[in-house]
Amino acid sequence: MSVVGIDLGTTNSVIATVRDNQVVVVPAAHGGYLHPSVVSFSNDGLKYFSREAVARRIVDPKYTVFSAKRLIGLAFQSKEVQRAIARLPYELREGNNEQAVFVAPDRAYTIPEVSGLLLGYLRQCAELFLGETITGAVITVPANFNDAQRRATIDAGRIAGLDVLRVLNEPTAAALAYGLGQNMSQRIAVYDFGGGTFDITILQVEGDVFEVLATGGDTFLGGDDMDNALLNTLAELFRAEHGLDPRNDQAAKARLLIAAEQVKCHLSDFPEARGELKNIAVSDRGEQLALRFHIARNVFEAAIRNLVSRTIQTTQEVLASAGLAASQVDEIILVGGTTRVPLVRAEVERYFGRTPRTDLNPDEVVAWGAAIQAENLAHAGESLSSHAVLLDVTPRALGIAVAGGFAERILDRNVPVPVEQTRIFTTSADNQSTVRIQVCQGESRRFDENVPLGELELSGIPPARRGEVSIEVTFRVDTNGILRVRARDAATGAAREAAVNVRGGMTDVEVAEAVERQKSAESVLGDSLLPELLEVE
Amino acid sequence: MAQRTSEQLANFARQLHGKLDQLTYYELLGVSSTASIPEVRSAFYSLSNDLHPDRYHGLNDRELKDRLETIYARICEGYRVLSTPEKRAAYARALTEGKRRLTSTDRESKAPQNPEDSIRHEDAKKFFRLGMISLARKDYKGAVMNFNFARSFEPGAAVINQKLGEAQAALPKPGGPGGK
Repeated sequence: MSVVGIDLGTTNSVIATVRDNQVVVVPAAHGGYLHPSVVSFSNDGLKYFSREAVARRIVDPKYTVFSAKRLIGLAFQSKEVQRAIARLPYELREGNNEQAVFVAPDRAYTIPEVSGLLLGYLRQCAELFLGETITGAVITVPANFNDAQRRATIDAGRIAGLDVLRVLNEPTAAALAYGLGQNMSQRIAVYDFGGGTFDITILQVEGDVFEVLATGGDTFLGGDDMDNALLNTLAELFRAEHGLDPRNDQAAKARLLIAAEQVKCHLSDFPEARGELKNIAVSDRGEQLALRFHIARNVFEAAIRNLVSRTIQTTQEVLASAGLAASQVDEIILVGGTTRVPLVRAEVERYFGRTPRTDLNPDEVVAWGAAIQAENLAHAGESLSSHAVLLDVTPRALGIAVAGGFAERILDRNVPVPVEQTRIFTTSADNQSTVRIQVCQGESRRFDENVPLGELELSGIPPARRGEVSIEVTFRVDTNGILRVRARDAATGAAREAAVNVRGGMTDVEVAEAVERQKSAESVLGDSLLPELLEVE
Repeated sequence: MAQRTSEQLANFARQLHGKLDQLTYYELLGVSSTASIPEVRSAFYSLSNDLHPDRYHGLNDRELKDRLETIYARICEGYRVLSTPEKRAAYARALTEGKRRLTSTDRESKAPQNPEDSIRHEDAKKFFRLGMISLARKDYKGAVMNFNFARSFEPGAAVINQKLGEAQAALPKPGGPGGK
């Protein structure tokens, strides 16, 4: 039996464990250590993972799910999901409880189920490699994930049969992997530019204590956006040559997107990329159309400069919220594959006036930290003194709806967790038997401008005149960054029922059903190869 | 602090949990009222090393775990207040009023839930809001009209009927329908 740390990424995932005080990263099926975060569903009910799944993005784009992390824990009608749908070739529908569901050939899957399949696959890889059963996991999430996104990630882990020991913020995991602090006091900035998200976190590290001072980010900013920018560049070249926009054809678009990613990686190491993309699309006359291209790094940099500037702007805001200047940061850690892009490194260095740390692999460093924390938690209470303690903060402010469409702040953002706040609620009508409280996450004064989290229902209130019943509600954000609510009668002290219906999430019953289904399901660890698309000269 | 046996831990948690509301943040963190921010932080870090919930991750006693988390949440609260100059100044005022805690807004909410929450129909909600605005402006005639509109969309909503009653009762004209 062992525990693992999993960096469940937008584009790729990494799974690691600690063996004999050393971090061991589980290799991917086709070499390397990055497991593509892609699941493909076939007509015969089989699921494909890894590179097979990536290949199926081209041949079966409708049934191949990628970037599920962009959707997890969000309501179907949310602007993030609607924005993602515009770019995704697979179909999403609105399911129970406002959830976004993916429609596979056999049935509809909730997003935690899709991510659960992926986690199940990762678990299998680790079990094969380690020759042990994996029981528990620490799963990392972006520091700015809200309550619903964290809950959905835990659900995904449960569906994969994992005991989720903790959802850990990615930057905290990275800092832990670097083992900073030790015998001195340091202020650290973790600049995490991944496939789909950007995060910036400022930590204070002293000895074994890691305190998050401030965190912020953008859930919709990542290397994928750079791929899309390059896709547009390639598509324009193609259109100039053939008079046809390949973006109108899903398969052609998927091919170009994969090519764009490869061009991006190539341009991180070389000043230019030339090549030929064969069989991109078919002309009216049935001919296969190809694209010869030549892109210089500065063309690419011009296309992505505004994306990089946005990260620096967010960095500035987060530093300001911690009351710090860029020069007061002692160390900068780069995390995420996108930090390999030279322009990103140059801009970070220019902003902080200091060379960032890159000695640990930016793709693996988060999984390293997660594995260390999983080990710490699995042995909690044994040799206390040697373990780091991670002091995280609330990812968002928490508020409740009040008259006039406003949100009343209950808990602030960036305060150390766990944190508790108690409020007294009362009835507004005679003989009212339930009180509903709408809860949201976000910093805006207007309720509508925040993310609605769900509804808290206090039920079973005995008949009384309005205002005569007082219910004490305690809102607590735990160390996972997840809201828990307790209610009691202020007069009698008796516990009262308080259920939070999380909008856009799975119910406990749905999760339990999904766990059972996954247990009996088969998955495929096949061995097909990605067709060669690109030859970079 | 050295590692405790589970019995010692349970005793410690019960005692501290019981007197949590009587302790000032200074007492809770074990620092003097003139402690500097680095001193407060250092005290908080050492308490965290001992009492952070991750330290008791494997504990099976849920009640004990919950108590420890409540204690630690209060320690976090104290740290946050004492390490932020503005909050610490506000806390100094609160202490003179005999309070031991400073909540983020430092007040209780009387009826924080939106009265219109129980209304389901969007148009009913809209007119209900307009009615509430009229009511606030003491335009009782306008309020009665808007609440009546609201009721036409959702006759069953208790809160509409209640407010309609209030508005009607406040109408200056004698002999108006009493809605109490």
